[in-house]
Amino acid sequence: MEIERRQPEQGRLLGAVPYVGAALILAIIPFFLSTYGEGLMTRFLIFALFAMSYNVVFGYAGLLSLGHAAFFGAGGYTVALLKLHYNVELFWISAPLGVLVATFTAALFGIIALRASGIYFLLVTFALGQMLYSLTWNVKWFNSPGMQGITGILLPDLAIPGFTLDTTSFYYVVLFFFGISFLLLYRLVRSPYGRALVGIREDESRMEAVGYDTWLHKYTAFVISGAFAGIAGVLFTYYNFFVSPNHFGIMTSFLPMVMAIMGGLGTLLGPVLGAGVFIFVENFSSIYFRARWPLVLGGLFVLTIIFAREGLGVYLWRLWARASHRHERIKS
Amino acid sequence: MDWFVINLLNGVSYGMILFLIASGMSIVLGAMGTMNLAHGAIYMVGAYVGWTVAVKWGATFGVGLLAGGLSAGLVGLAIERGLLRRLYKQPNEQVLLTFGFVYILTNLCLWIWSGWPRMPFTAEFLKGSFEILGRAYPKARVAVILIGLILGVGLWWLQDRTRMGAIVRAGMDDKETTMGLGINLERAFAVIFFIASFIAGVAGVIGAQLLGVRTSLGLEVLLLALIVIIVGGVGSIQGALLGGILIGVIDSFGRAVFPQLAMFTMYFTMLVVLIVRPAGLLGRKV
Repeated sequence: MEIERRQPEQGRLLGAVPYVGAALILAIIPFFLSTYGEGLMTRFLIFALFAMSYNVVFGYAGLLSLGHAAFFGAGGYTVALLKLHYNVELFWISAPLGVLVATFTAALFGIIALRASGIYFLLVTFALGQMLYSLTWNVKWFNSPGMQGITGILLPDLAIPGFTLDTTSFYYVVLFFFGISFLLLYRLVRSPYGRALVGIREDESRMEAVGYDTWLHKYTAFVISGAFAGIAGVLFTYYNFFVSPNHFGIMTSFLPMVMAIMGGLGTLLGPVLGAGVFIFVENFSSIYFRARWPLVLGGLFVLTIIFAREGLGVYLWRLWARASHRHERIKS
Repeated sequence: MDWFVINLLNGVSYGMILFLIASGMSIVLGAMGTMNLAHGAIYMVGAYVGWTVAVKWGATFGVGLLAGGLSAGLVGLAIERGLLRRLYKQPNEQVLLTFGFVYILTNLCLWIWSGWPRMPFTAEFLKGSFEILGRAYPKARVAVILIGLILGVGLWWLQDRTRMGAIVRAGMDDKETTMGLGINLERAFAVIFFIASFIAGVAGVIGAQLLGVRTSLGLEVLLLALIVIIVGGVGSIQGALLGGILIGVIDSFGRAVFPQLAMFTMYFTMLVVLIVRPAGLLGRKV
C-alpha cells in the first residue's frame, strides 16, 4: 500500500516545511546538548541511515532480508582493517573503500540470495551474514592481536590543515552524510525506478508481464541498499572506536529490520522515526529501569503491533491528517 | 576407528537436540507461514523451568521434562492465542512481535532466575557411562539419541498418520480450500503451535546437559534452529531430522578435526546446501 499522497503544486513548498524544520533542529541541537546527548544523537543518525538503507530492500522492494549486518559490518571492518594493518586513518581513503567493499559484498550476496524468494530469501541472507560472522570470529587477520574484534580506531583524519575532528564536529560529519543519503534516497523512491520497486513488491508477476526486468530491479535495490548500509557501518566504526564480529551478527541484522517495521515500512521517514524511538527508548529505559530495559523495548514492539500495526510513523501521520481535517471542517 | 564412532555418537546426540529444536519452528513456518523468532526463547523457558523442577526442587528428571515442556507450551500458546493469530500472512508484523518476545522472555528469565548460568544437568540414572569399544561413553548422550528418536517417530506419526497432520498438510497446500471444506484451521494452528513450543521446552530440558541453561540461549538456539531449517528444508519432520543430524555430525567432526574453526563448518555446510539446493535437502519447492 502506498502511504504518501501526491500533493497539489502549491502545497509542495508547504510540504517541505517539516523537512527544513527538522534539518534546522538537527543542525543546531548540539549547542543544547551535553557530550553524552551529542553522542546519542550521532548514534541515532547512524542507525537512522542504516534503517533507511534497509527500508529500500524491504520496505520498497519487499525483500525480507535477515543479513543486512553483512554490509554494515563490511564497511566498518574495512575501516578498522585499514587502520590495523596499514595504519590508514585518512577519511578520504578509508570511508570510500569501506563503502566500496560493502557495495561489492552486496553485489556478490545479491546474486546468491536472489535465487530464492520469500522465506527462503530470509534464510539465505541470514546464512551469508553468519558466514562473515564466523569468518571474522575465526580468522586472526580480522582481529587485533589477542582479542575478538579490532580496537584502536580513532575519529578519522580529514586532512584539513589545522583542524582535527572532535565529537561535535563528527556529529556534523554524520549529519552531512545522513542528509546526503536522505536526499538521494528521497529521489530514488520517487523516481520511476522506485515506483517500479513498489510494483514488484505488490505484484511481481504482473510487473514482469508488463515488461519490467524484475530480477534486475530487485538486484540493484539490494546493492544500493547494501551501499548505504556500508556508509552507516563506516560511520558507526568511527563512532564506536571498536568493531567486533557482532557487527555481522544476527542482532545487528535485526536492528534495522525492527526499526523500519516499528516506524513504518515503505515510507521514507518511518525508519528514521523507528530508529529514534528505538535508540532513545533503549537509552532512557536503561537509565530509569536499569536491568529491565529489554522488557520496556520488547513491550514497545508488542504495543506497536497492537495499536499501530502499520508503524508509528504511519499512525502519527494518520492522526495528524485526521486532526488537520477536523480543523478545516470547523473553519468552514 | 573408536575415534570415529565416538565423534559420530557425539554428533548424532547433538543432532537429535538440534532436530528437536528445529522441528517445531520448521512446522510452524511451513504450516502457518509464521516466522517465530521467539522459538529459542521458548526453549529457554523450558530449560529454566526444567532446571527448577528437576534440580532445585529435586523432583525426578521425568517430571522436570514434563514441566519444562508444559511451561514452554503454555507460553507459546499464550503468544499465539493472544497476539499471533491476528497476524496470519503478515510476516513483517510477526517478525516485530516475536522479536519483541525474545527481549521480553529473555529479560523475564533473567529477572526470575538471575544471570548466573546453571550447571548442565541430567537424570540421576543417566549419570555415569557405558563401555563402547573399550571407551567410557556417557549414558546421558545415548539417552538423548533414544529420546530424540522416540519423539521423532511420534512427530512423524502425527504429521503423516493422523487427521491433525492431514489438516496441517492440506492447509500448507491450499488454505482457502481447506477452510472451505469446513475445517477449523484456527484450532489446528493453535494445537500445532502448542506442540511446537512443547517440543522446544522438552528439548530445553534434554539439551541442558549439552547447551547448559543460561539467558543467552534465546538467540543461540534461534540461530541453531535457523541453520537446521536451512539445511533440512522448511515444513517437514523428516527435513528437520536430516538437517539436525547432518549439522550435528558435521559440527562434531569439524570440532575434532579443525578445533580452531568453531562453528565455521556448520555455516559452510549451510552455504553449500543453499547454493546447491536453495529449498533445503528435503524442502518443498520454493
